Amino acid sequence: MASVDLVDVRKAYGDHEVIHGVSISISDGQFVALVGPSGCGKSTLLRMIAGLEPITAGEIRIDSKVVNDLEPKDRDIAMVFQNYALYPHKNVADNMGFALQMRRVPKPQIAERVKRAAEILGLVPYLGRYPRQLSGGQRQRVAMGRAIVRDPKVFLFDEPLSNLDAKLRVQMRAEIKELHQRLKTTTVYVTHDQVEAMTMADKIVVLHDGVVEQIGSPLELYDRPANLFVAGFIGSPAMNMIQGIIRPGATPTFEAEDGTQLPLSGAPSNSDGRKAIYGFRPEHLTLGGPVKTEIAVIEPTGSETQVVARLAGQKIVGVFRERISARPGEMLAVAPNLSSVHLFDATSGQRLQ
Amino acid sequence: MGRTGARTGGISARYFSSRIVIYGLLILWAIICLFPIYWTFTTSFKVAVNVTQGHLIPWVDFTPDWRGWRSIGLSPDTIGETSTPREEFLKRFENSIIASLCAAALAVVIGSCAAYGLSRFNYKFGPMRNKDISFFFLSQLILPPVVLAMPFLVLYKELALLDTRIGLILIYTLTVLPIVIWIMRDQFDTIPTELEQAALVDGCSAWSAFLRIILPIALPGMVAAFILSVILCWNEYFFAALLTSTSAKTLPVMVASQTGSQGINWWSMAALSTAAILPLIVIGIFLERYIVKGLTAGSVK
Repeated sequence: MASVDLVDVRKAYGDHEVIHGVSISISDGQFVALVGPSGCGKSTLLRMIAGLEPITAGEIRIDSKVVNDLEPKDRDIAMVFQNYALYPHKNVADNMGFALQMRRVPKPQIAERVKRAAEILGLVPYLGRYPRQLSGGQRQRVAMGRAIVRDPKVFLFDEPLSNLDAKLRVQMRAEIKELHQRLKTTTVYVTHDQVEAMTMADKIVVLHDGVVEQIGSPLELYDRPANLFVAGFIGSPAMNMIQGIIRPGATPTFEAEDGTQLPLSGAPSNSDGRKAIYGFRPEHLTLGGPVKTEIAVIEPTGSETQVVARLAGQKIVGVFRERISARPGEMLAVAPNLSSVHLFDATSGQRLQ
Repeated sequence: MGRTGARTGGISARYFSSRIVIYGLLILWAIICLFPIYWTFTTSFKVAVNVTQGHLIPWVDFTPDWRGWRSIGLSPDTIGETSTPREEFLKRFENSIIASLCAAALAVVIGSCAAYGLSRFNYKFGPMRNKDISFFFLSQLILPPVVLAMPFLVLYKELALLDTRIGLILIYTLTVLPIVIWIMRDQFDTIPTELEQAALVDGCSAWSAFLRIILPIALPGMVAAFILSVILCWNEYFFAALLTSTSAKTLPVMVASQTGSQGINWWSMAALSTAAILPLIVIGIFLERYIVKGLTAGSVK
């Protein structure tokens, strides 16, 4: 177990820089998710931690020791790949024991540790099988088993669940989280799925175009997104965003482009007439209120009702616990929950309050 | 119930008739393919009259005779005695075996290394990238060997490699190398790079990842490339005829030399040919599945 620190890490291919100075500090035993859309550099970053990709500038420290020039084998990390990368010519036990074998651990000890890992993962009946004889979920477990027999300083996961079907993914998600709670090994987990990141991680790093947009706990990111990108990326259905102008005063309001007035609990200082974005999450709408919307689609799911409506010439989504009997085309009066309204600057996209 | 019975009856009748047609065609094709071997084999038991009159079926058309095999000292009555032709034949056979096996082994070792590099690393050689380098290797096959005849004759003379097995092994390695590189590159391309990366993380160096993880997976392809190389070298005539004379001469040259001034010794030529194709038949029967496995891309997963 160890801490991992990235200090102003950069990666360039020729003149083309793809990672623009990323600094992350991961404390001992933490589960950190690197999340972002495809091409944001999250896998590259993980491979740089692993040592599979050289870094152009900056410093990577594992357990306070700079590992920039260390070979992957000397970094004491274990990695789980998206396609599992199981050795097809070795059976499950040999796959899991290979790293120990490379480190010249005595055979009986290898067998013992492989057996223990197999017990944790429920792989004991499959130890003699070859990867091609296993199902996707079992292969996934073998890949994790290969990582945990090592008892490394850091686990690195590179989108490990994206090759599984939806049901198995949810199940493995819980298993990985449980495994982490049991082993308490520092973990860096790359995913493009924000739900995976939210549910599993202690800390989320949102990456976009090779830049860190925000670092924080899942709920921090959800409740106080630092900018428009994080606000739009975290949460499903996504946050509603309306362009307009801030009107402070006795009763501060937000005036959308078509003149629709939206309530504000308070306006940031010096914000009179400032162009901004008014954001609120679908579940932070309550029925009955000053804001009139025109219903476009109603989707009841039983536990809740999702409403797609028009507000200020824009489609917004609302999620209500109540059942709604209105029809498309009718007006629905709603009120945004004032304490959960987010304001972002229209040009920089940064959070205003 | 009766209706489904009738229907399955119909299906099985159609199934059987289509099977009969397919197997009939396959048997016909097998006969066409195997006929030259049959013809060579039977000719080694014929005398001149049988050859010229085109007799085909032993004991019906002609009476088998050991003459062809006697001429190379391999008939039952000559096998125990000392025989110069047999010694000559065995020497040629040995030359062929050593030259083919060594050249194929050398080509597979060198070719695999080259192919692995081309598959995994990005090279820049002047304006040439990996694709161009691969094509450059393969393009060596376009050049007709005749063009190389004079330069190689001069080169080998200077290096004292004429009429030596080493010289033959070297030139054979060179001629099969492009094919080996091509096969092995395809083979390595089908292996995901994550496997090496997993091996690197697991504690391997680049070389041990190649030797312990990639090579065993690429083994069927290597066996296929090896067999193909052996066959190509075994059949090679031109350079053998050009660069060897007495001590390093190979079987194909000996077979061809049976066309003497007194006409062609069909029987001894056929006996020699039969002995020459025998190793290839053995390879074909026992190692065919490796060839198929190795040449089928994506078989390794």
